[in-house]
Amino acid sequence: MEFLEGINWGLLAPLFIVQLILLVVSLVDLSRIEKTNGPKLLWVFIIIFVNIIGPILYFVIGRRNN
Amino acid sequence: MSQWMTLFQKEILEMWRNFKWIWVPITFILLGVSEPITSYYLPEIIKSFGGLPEGAVIDIPPPTAGAVLASGLSQYSTLGVLIIVLGTMGVIAGERKSGVAAMILVKPVSYLSYVTSKWAGSLLLVWFSLFSGYLSTWYYTGQLFEWVAFGEFLHSFVLYGLWLTVILTLTVFFSSALLSPGMAGFISLALALVVSIISGALSHLLEWSPSQLTSYASALLVTGELPEDTLLAILISILLIIVLLWLSVFLFKKKELAS
Repeated sequence: MEFLEGINWGLLAPLFIVQLILLVVSLVDLSRIEKTNGPKLLWVFIIIFVNIIGPILYFVIGRRNN
Repeated sequence: MSQWMTLFQKEILEMWRNFKWIWVPITFILLGVSEPITSYYLPEIIKSFGGLPEGAVIDIPPPTAGAVLASGLSQYSTLGVLIIVLGTMGVIAGERKSGVAAMILVKPVSYLSYVTSKWAGSLLLVWFSLFSGYLSTWYYTGQLFEWVAFGEFLHSFVLYGLWLTVILTLTVFFSSALLSPGMAGFISLALALVVSIISGALSHLLEWSPSQLTSYASALLVTGELPEDTLLAILISILLIIVLLWLSVFLFKKKELAS
């Protein structure tokens, strides 16, 4: 994997951390909230497996504001 | 005034409760930063996908720092606008639907402070998110390409922020004029899209259109100077924001009194 060696990890690491924060926050919110649009378990999978877009999708459409 | 501050603080607190202060800025950061990174690693990405014949030489000239920053900024006029509209479309319509608005307005709260405090809360969120996202895009562009002057960064930031404020005010307007959040979001998005397309196509006729602010910001980053129509576009945008805000208070009052 010599392709990976040319990457400046110092620059990319903050992005992974930020992304991780997003993931954790959305999971915390999901565990607290009573009801979501659609089944809750589905959202757990979307948040964990869909990279970046998953948590954002959850906040934009999965969350039911009332 | 103190009443307005209370409403405003309630708005800010509510956005903490549903994590808007965390996810909107993070989304803006990820949106913007992905641009300098992908353009920096583009040659390697192409190489690693392979499928090229032996000895093929791909020579992509590295883009200038200003162009990279401008394309990072343009992410906010597409996906950024989508997030802003979807995030604020329920700001008034949702509360009316759930009956919270009626509960608040039973108390001696003026319609003006109710609508403007909601608007100001979302405004703060949008500017904060745009700033953190754009600042990190600027930082990454500086690290991977060249540093763009901070003055140009600030100018283009303000121009973009103004256009996003126009979108936000439009969404608040439809949110208070219509009953359903979904309808408000859809109409605001469609209108923003149509205005952008028309002013892009007829840019020589509509130099004053608020959506031209986005292309002026990019022009500033790429060429280093502001087009002369910028001031007019700024003035029109501010006027539009004030008129829309006043109209949304007016319409909201009328609807509330009627129901």
